[in-house]
Amino acid sequence: MQILSILVLPLIIVAIPLYGLIKKVRVYEVFVEGAKEGFQIGVRIIPYLVAILFAIGMFRASGALEMLIGLLDPVLALVGFPAEVLPMAIMRPLTGSGSVGVMADLIAAYGEDSFVVKVAGTMFGSTETTFYVLAVYFGAVGIRKVRYAVQAGLIADLAGVIASVAVCYWLFG
Amino acid sequence: MLNYIWAGLIIFSLLFAVSSDLRDYATDEFQNGAEIGIELIIPENTPLQRRTAVQFRITAGPDASPEVYRAEWFPSEDQAELIIPVTEALPAHWRKVAQFQDARDLTQLRALVVQRESGAAAVTAVITLPEVHLVKMRSITKAAFDMAEFAVTLAIGLIGIMALWLGLMKIAEESGLIYKIVKVVNPVLGFLFPNVPKDHPALGAISLNLSANMLGLGNAATPLGIKAMEELQKLNPDKESATNAMCMFLTMNTASVQLVPPVTLIALLGVGVAELFYSILITTAISLVVGVTAASYYARKFPEPPAVVPAAAAPQSES
Repeated sequence: MQILSILVLPLIIVAIPLYGLIKKVRVYEVFVEGAKEGFQIGVRIIPYLVAILFAIGMFRASGALEMLIGLLDPVLALVGFPAEVLPMAIMRPLTGSGSVGVMADLIAAYGEDSFVVKVAGTMFGSTETTFYVLAVYFGAVGIRKVRYAVQAGLIADLAGVIASVAVCYWLFG
Repeated sequence: MLNYIWAGLIIFSLLFAVSSDLRDYATDEFQNGAEIGIELIIPENTPLQRRTAVQFRITAGPDASPEVYRAEWFPSEDQAELIIPVTEALPAHWRKVAQFQDARDLTQLRALVVQRESGAAAVTAVITLPEVHLVKMRSITKAAFDMAEFAVTLAIGLIGIMALWLGLMKIAEESGLIYKIVKVVNPVLGFLFPNVPKDHPALGAISLNLSANMLGLGNAATPLGIKAMEELQKLNPDKESATNAMCMFLTMNTASVQLVPPVTLIALLGVGVAELFYSILITTAISLVVGVTAASYYARKFPEPPAVVPAAAAPQSES
């Protein structure tokens, strides 16, 4: 497992340009074109990051987050859910760029290698900004009655949240 | 919803900070203005008119002990201060005051000398520690400003890895890697979308969108997804109400299997993200199964007649 982990990144970094070359893609130019998007995303998420990070920063600094975690921990511990990850579980379906802020806050608070960050990272990568996706896709075709799409999406999100914790216990616990 | 959570975080922070600070006053947590008796140990023949290194011992109050601490005597025009470096040896209360004081440098305590008497052997004095006010109020304000600044440095710092990753993914996109995934996705779709005719262009758009999602190609996925929705809308008898196929598609979209994590996560965690490839892959596989099960349960609970392909859609299926 560990060797696979080490291999996955170099494999992607080398295999994709190689595959592109075989498929006769102008790899360098296409790479640069794609890389430009990095800037756009970086700048685009700044307002979201400011909004979420300062609000969560205040909440943490006031001691309220610590108290909330302290209150919920005994309950959540019964099912093995780390209470520190709760902000991610709540924010993830609501805001994609904002949950980047939650992720950054957790990394700053608990360290990159901590179990909390692994669970939160898995959650971040596994669940989708359900409300945003629904708004964009249904909005694009003018659907107003969404029927059970929200419930089904949120059931999948909830499964993702629970599975993130379980899978992380299994792989890293 | 998000508006309330966000505003709630800020308002609750304020309320919590205020109540915490009031509690500090009520319990006299920092003993503001409390006078502490000390005995100064001054090197011989040293006048106290200028800055000089001294030692002292606490002689009165709850922290009185024979322990000797180092400090600097710092006289100014009409009063004197004792600058005490903060060390582990200091009494717990003193360290706490140092930690929460409103000073630029938290590694020292500037105690005010309110009274001094020179005896034959030693100098006794009374000092007061810096006053500590509104700890939490100051700390939430500082957090707001610090985090706002951190947000920008963070975002700028993420650009490099995001550029690298999005460059690679653009090559993957252009080289048609997506079609490798489409081949895997396609056979399942007919089964999951029973009301969509097998040769309808909606299925093509759906499988392209799902494949792009699996590779983490968010920017390429969205236009494909909207295209898929437009195709599904053509099969929809009631243009304002979602069909079962649409609900299934959106559930699969939000619970998509992730072969590659999102670019922002890769940028945040750097090389450390490698471990999460597997946990994310397994987790998303589970949530996809659950999501699809839920959507098909609802679809069976609220069945709808098979869609009649409108005449206008037929020629498009060849294009």
